Amino acid sequence: MTSTKFNVDARRVLATAVSGFVASCVLASGIAAAEEWGTIKGRFLYGGDAPTPAEIKADKDVEVCGKHKLLQEELVVGADKGVANVVVFVRDKDVKVHPDAAAEAKATKVVLDNKGCVFSPHVLVVHTGQPLIIKNSDTVGHNSNVATIKNPPSNSLIPAGGESSIPFANEEAIPAQVTCNIHPWMKAWVVVRPNPYATVSAADGSFEIKNVPAGEVELQLWHEKAGYIGEISVGGKSEKIAKGRRKVKVEAAGTNLGEMVLAPSIFQK
Amino acid sequence: MKRFSHVAFLPIAVLAAACLLSAGCGKTSSASYRLNMVEATKQRLTSDQERQVATVLLAMFGTPDDPVALPETGLDEAKLRLASGPVRSDIVGRKNGLYREHCAHCHGVTGDGMGPTAAFLNPYPRDYRPGVFKFKSTERADKPTHADLLRILRNGIAGTSMPSFALLSEPQIDALAEYVKYLSIRGETELALMRAYFELDDDAKGILPETREFLVDEMLTPVAEKWKSATAAQIVVPDMSADIDLTASIAKGRELFYGDKANCVKCHGVTGLGDGQANDYDDWNKAIVEINKEVKGGLIKTGETSTSGMSAEEAAEHRQQVAWLGKFSHVLDGDALTPRTIPPRNLRRGVYRGGRRPLDLYYRIHAGINGAPMPAAKGTVAPEDIWHIVNYVLSLPYEFDGELGADRPMVARDRF
Repeated sequence: MTSTKFNVDARRVLATAVSGFVASCVLASGIAAAEEWGTIKGRFLYGGDAPTPAEIKADKDVEVCGKHKLLQEELVVGADKGVANVVVFVRDKDVKVHPDAAAEAKATKVVLDNKGCVFSPHVLVVHTGQPLIIKNSDTVGHNSNVATIKNPPSNSLIPAGGESSIPFANEEAIPAQVTCNIHPWMKAWVVVRPNPYATVSAADGSFEIKNVPAGEVELQLWHEKAGYIGEISVGGKSEKIAKGRRKVKVEAAGTNLGEMVLAPSIFQK
Repeated sequence: MKRFSHVAFLPIAVLAAACLLSAGCGKTSSASYRLNMVEATKQRLTSDQERQVATVLLAMFGTPDDPVALPETGLDEAKLRLASGPVRSDIVGRKNGLYREHCAHCHGVTGDGMGPTAAFLNPYPRDYRPGVFKFKSTERADKPTHADLLRILRNGIAGTSMPSFALLSEPQIDALAEYVKYLSIRGETELALMRAYFELDDDAKGILPETREFLVDEMLTPVAEKWKSATAAQIVVPDMSADIDLTASIAKGRELFYGDKANCVKCHGVTGLGDGQANDYDDWNKAIVEINKEVKGGLIKTGETSTSGMSAEEAAEHRQQVAWLGKFSHVLDGDALTPRTIPPRNLRRGVYRGGRRPLDLYYRIHAGINGAPMPAAKGTVAPEDIWHIVNYVLSLPYEFDGELGADRPMVARDRF
């Protein structure tokens, strides 16, 4: 019988429960550490010739959407080979949050706009407790179908000039897709994290996460086409990172992860 | 059952379940649930992980012949017993095995919407496992109430293969509704378990913790709670104003139908024949469409890749990918139906799947249709305006020919 691991007895269950309780007490009392904070920086580069994004032909609301040049945004690589829209976040569940980071996140209004018949931005980050404002700057009506798994999924009409606010109570293990059922080419991704330590790489592939507690944290890297990124190459050396998880040491003076090259093959799924 | 110590029950049941699974405990030829292989393969679960999910589910939910309802599910085991098992009469002559008699041939023993007749029906029967239901009185993301399920069972779903079961007795319909909830809670818990592997920390070594805290409190309870709170999530519908002028209301509704705010016209079409946005999928089919695309793309890519220049490590990875794709295309053959697009409803026919009462149409417009592309008008369209749209939609089958100009065929039914 291959089931030794199923032979859980009540004592083990109890022991786990008790130790879990003790652990949470210790955590709640606060471990005095991480009074120092640092910034994590880095840049993602494409390890090949920048692909030309395909053009999308608007076949709905042509009189409005047809006016815009619509490009496929699944993989956006700049002329300088920077890879945009790579999601980077701190995975550690109990990471200590700097008061400034918390305050900044609280003051920031996260907006997903329906503009020019595309979602803008294409990938965005919210953290639990921070509502997502979906608005429509177009002259045509849209709807925003938010396919979350751990939060109630929603699909609201967003008329021209309209606005809708979506709260998130729980974090999402994978970024949630946002689509418009009226204009099927429209697609965006919402990353829902339990803390403000998450960002999306800019057009030049660079990213920065400020005020992370000094010490070791685990980053997780995700991209729409690649999923959780399984392989990066730093300084010509390839590095396998299972499920996109990579431990980094955060220095108070700042941590620069340098240029991380992403092989074209990871985007060919 | 309720007398069982909460801490002790689960591990013992897991043990018993492991025993049943491993055959040799003397129990043979009983009906069993199918594992959600599409999700298991999507999550790249190992066979050990698949076995763990099956074992845990067996412990928490029992078998199709012998269902278990933990107190956290809020389900009534006596009702489940009436609905489950093979078709038979019990000692007092009461019919048992109602689900297998009336439902399983379409919805499947597991409630996966993949019974033997499923492939021949259009639309396909509902797969209960994602816990998504369309025709209900609650807000979009919420579960249907028990009364909603009873109504569907009694009335059937017009325009689909779902018949009315009004000839069954009240306790029988009640038992079936309870059993649908049970299958749905089981299926959604299965999905939660399968997705939980991905989030495990590395030191968990790919095994879910078999503790009551994790399995019941973290996996099962959140699913069950959504069913318990369904009644509280019912949509509050203001009465249609009593002195409403129907002609004026229909005119107003028509304006809203074509207007930019409600935007009904985009999908239901200029003619109302449901010929606007017609190439979209519902959530059940969309999931398969996306997987099909990934597997097909992967098979083409791996087929073109030569292994000759690869390092041993790369070659091993390549072999693994080829094996996974092979497994997935095999799983799709047996565990998924060919995806179909979902046409928006033809509003000229007077057939309303979720019920034909004005109230039913109000629910559909207010909350949208969960799992389908239909969005919610809630918050965008005022309640009295929703009533105007309801009145307009209900007038559509009777609108004069030619009202919309030459674009509209003279007889709507000719098109279908």
